[in-house]
Amino acid sequence: MVELRDVCMQFDEKKVLDGFCLTVEPQDRLVIMGQSGSGKSTILRLVLGTLRPTSGSIFFKQFEITRLRRRKLQQVRRSIGMVYQYSALLSSRNVRDNVALPLEEITDKSREEIDKIVDEKLELVGMKDSKELMPAELSGGMKKRVSLARALVLEPELILFDEPAAGLDPVIASVIDELIISLTEKSRVTSITVTHEMDSAFRIGTRMAMLYRGKIIEDAEPEKFKQSENPVVAQFLSGSTEGPILEDSQDAVAKK
Amino acid sequence: MADTGQSARNETLSANPVVLVQGIAELGRNFLREVGSVFWFIAQTFEESLERIQHGRVPFRAASFFRHAGRAGVDSVPLVGLVSFFLGLTMALLTGYQLQRFGTERLIPGLVAISFTRELGPLITGIMLAARIGAAFTAELGTMQVSEEVEAIEAMGIGPLRFLVAPRMLALFFLMPCLSTVSNIAAIFASSLVSKAYFSIAFVYFLDLVKDALLIRDIITGILKSFLFGLLIGAIACYRGLTVKGGAAGVGAATTSSVVTAITTVIGFDTLYNIVYTVFFPT
Repeated sequence: MVELRDVCMQFDEKKVLDGFCLTVEPQDRLVIMGQSGSGKSTILRLVLGTLRPTSGSIFFKQFEITRLRRRKLQQVRRSIGMVYQYSALLSSRNVRDNVALPLEEITDKSREEIDKIVDEKLELVGMKDSKELMPAELSGGMKKRVSLARALVLEPELILFDEPAAGLDPVIASVIDELIISLTEKSRVTSITVTHEMDSAFRIGTRMAMLYRGKIIEDAEPEKFKQSENPVVAQFLSGSTEGPILEDSQDAVAKK
Repeated sequence: MADTGQSARNETLSANPVVLVQGIAELGRNFLREVGSVFWFIAQTFEESLERIQHGRVPFRAASFFRHAGRAGVDSVPLVGLVSFFLGLTMALLTGYQLQRFGTERLIPGLVAISFTRELGPLITGIMLAARIGAAFTAELGTMQVSEEVEAIEAMGIGPLRFLVAPRMLALFFLMPCLSTVSNIAAIFASSLVSKAYFSIAFVYFLDLVKDALLIRDIITGILKSFLFGLLIGAIACYRGLTVKGGAAGVGAATTSSVVTAITTVIGFDTLYNIVYTVFFPT
């Protein structure tokens, strides 16, 4: 479904991704973990095509994202949904209009059809009674749910989640995680989630990958990932301050 | 020791002209880059909008256009009217007292009418709109940019230029000539009051003098300038907003920069227009 081949991404002097390779199979729930600032969100933006890599190729199904012209890229994006870390709801539109936006702008559906789909998606995320509220009146968890509903309206084949539990209390974070699991299973979509929240990651993922120094250093099912002998992964999972992550060296990657 | 200090000063002095020229060249290059970027931005907005139309869809909702037109146009009428009224009043007073020395007060109506219709109406309106609406557009779009709303729109497969920029630019493009007309009328009306009060020019006679002095080309010049200024102000404001970096501070800086750039551009293009018009269409 998604493939990144030898992707390099550099911002000024900083190399964020360095020969990055990743393949995502259909219906995977892939979770990419890594330190803050390691380039996790960058990966999502590269898949969406809102960022262009310095070098390398990115494929979504049969489309090479890096070579698509703007119009074709816009069409391809309609098969991809994205839930942003801070929800990115349009502040000038209420909940109903935010969720309806992709349907109004991209499809030829009538007002009644759009309203029906919006109601359905808002019901799925438990926000049907909040249609008239503005984003400023919503809590963080509510915004996240509305953002999820908006990502689902076009029935995408791939959903990208950028730190879905960020800024939420543990209970609401679990609610969001459960929503992600149930909706992605129900719709049989593929998902890529980037997070550094351990609990959330192991709850959501059917496959886990660790991003370190611009590359994937571990890629396994959750149980095998937990038992990884990679010292970087072990340190990250344990949250210890001692280990290769805080040392400025390449040894951890070399040892693997 | 004294020799070393003297030679260092000499070196600095000899390096200064080079540094100065480099600085000017850098400014010039940045200016040209900015101008090119804004025109490319306008072209891309048109392209995205036209593409949408080619597919049988409207590039943006009418409600969005009318909302921006209401803010830019209707809500700006009191400000534009008031400022132009006082300017017209002042102009009539100051020029009238000078013309009275030569017994040519009857030139006041024509002077004010031509000045405002050809020049001051579009220029003053442009400056006011750049400060009022240009700043608002930049702040709005800049805030959307830093809170990832623009990226979210793009990620949904919706062209942000035709969705966000086109209705704003088009609103300013169409509303500028209307507001310039309001400005002209307010200024001419104000000068008629002064003419009556201080120079004994009756209102009907005042209107006749305006009609005699004003040519169609004066009106057309003013309207064409207004269209151009509206397009430029809209483009600069939206461009600055969508290229914001650096959070709230970035939005603030972009808003200030947008107003300054728009005002400077309006004045610059006004001068250019006048030069071209005078050279190629002499009276």
